[in-house]
Amino acid sequence: MSDGPDDELELTSALVPLFVITNGRHLPADHEYEHTALVTAREGASAAVARALSPEARKVMDLVADGFLSVAEVSGHTHLPLGIVRILLAQLEEDSLILVRKPIPRVERAERELLSAVLDGLRTKFGA
Amino acid sequence: MNRDVLLWCLAVVAAISAAAAVALIVRTRALGARKRKFEAESAQRLAEAERSLLTARTDLQKFRDEQDSALQEAERTAEESTKAVLKGAARFLQSLAAEQTTLLDGIQRKYGGHAVLADLLDVNHANAQMARKAQGIAVMCGAPLGRRNQPASVYDVVRSAQGQIRNFSRVEIMQQSGIALKASAVAPVALAVAELLDNAASFSQHDAPIEVTFQRVQSNLCIVIDDAGVGMSDEDRQKATALLSGDNVPRLSQLGTQPKFGLPVVGLNARQYGFKVDVTGVSRYGGVRAVVLLPEELWTMEETPPPVQETPVRRIRHIPMAEDEPEDRTVHGLPKRGERQAPTASVTDAGGSSGKSARTLKKASRGAGGLAAIQRGTMSGRAVEVPSSEGTEDA
Repeated sequence: MSDGPDDELELTSALVPLFVITNGRHLPADHEYEHTALVTAREGASAAVARALSPEARKVMDLVADGFLSVAEVSGHTHLPLGIVRILLAQLEEDSLILVRKPIPRVERAERELLSAVLDGLRTKFGA
Repeated sequence: MNRDVLLWCLAVVAAISAAAAVALIVRTRALGARKRKFEAESAQRLAEAERSLLTARTDLQKFRDEQDSALQEAERTAEESTKAVLKGAARFLQSLAAEQTTLLDGIQRKYGGHAVLADLLDVNHANAQMARKAQGIAVMCGAPLGRRNQPASVYDVVRSAQGQIRNFSRVEIMQQSGIALKASAVAPVALAVAELLDNAASFSQHDAPIEVTFQRVQSNLCIVIDDAGVGMSDEDRQKATALLSGDNVPRLSQLGTQPKFGLPVVGLNARQYGFKVDVTGVSRYGGVRAVVLLPEELWTMEETPPPVQETPVRRIRHIPMAEDEPEDRTVHGLPKRGERQAPTASVTDAGGSSGKSARTLKKASRGAGGLAAIQRGTMSGRAVEVPSSEGTEDA
């Protein structure tokens, strides 16, 4: 709140709002770009298209240029919320600039018998 | 005998006519004298009447002037008191909107990984439009504009303006780097560009593009906004130019029930902060071309520092070892655990840092730098700000 009658109001919010960074695009479906999904730049991603990217999308491209990085890491390094990064990634994949490798699905239920058999085997071999 | 009678008769007739003539002359003279006297009197009366008329006129004029100035004074007072009331209200709205924007920023980061983010973005958009209106009213009432303390790239300033209009995704901005607006110019230029973009959007079809480009002309920087609208008539152009000069500020009472204060706000802003706006050009789509001309006092060729300083990915994986730098301790004075240098993520090694990696590879088996990097990235992706579990890197 302002203190005096003619004090200038200080604006502390981010200059560029997040919805402008995503250009009003919608969030991708929940199962897409999960935070453990790995992302890398597609080989020979066209430089012309990359030049037209927003600074944020370009930063994402720079991050994933040398190898695979998880969606969560991209979010951490760009300091952008995960959802915003997912929207940016969806746009980059649509422009065929990146490859996304989905995470290996978690095993629904571990087979207890198999695990105890392995454990038993190990115990007999190493005598633990 | 007859002749005498005739003579006598003649003489009598002559005498009578002479007498008549004399009488006539006398009478005419008397009449003339009376007429002259009357004329003189009327002239005098006329002069008197004229004099009193003149005084009456002067008095009337005096009263009229007094009345006019009284009316003007009353109007001015009414305008000022309206402005004062509205200014207070607008400032209140302005600061609330700013507070709400800051709050929303935080909430968006807090729930960044949640599906609610989509709705939050919409709320933020509505709020940005409200903040623009509040700022516009404040400017019309002579209240100061919100102020930013950081210089910003001209591209980001235009993107900030873009976020303040309804159909913002129609706006296409040419990439521009290396030109920064000084901190004092950021808010006023953003508001002016937002109002111009709003005009461009309102006076063109809802799917037509709006293009923003940048040009450097001598020592000025131009922000050029092209729309594909219907354009303006000569009369509209003249009106707009008068409003944009900031000389001709319409009264609040003249704005009507659906006030259009876009152009007056731009004009006032431009005059106060020393830039110029012109809307007389024709865009390449046949619509209006609006140009915001920023003199060199308002911008620099310096690159703006990124808002958040962060460690690049490659450096995170090549932190010097504890043995190399014994002072590598946490803020609490505890020795830091060594960090493994071999990348645990499948990110390939950067070629440029070979010297450093050679030095650090022998300790590659120690610590978990790569893992820590993943953990940090994941954590800061989920939360707003997560400090390293072992204190800061540079402690």
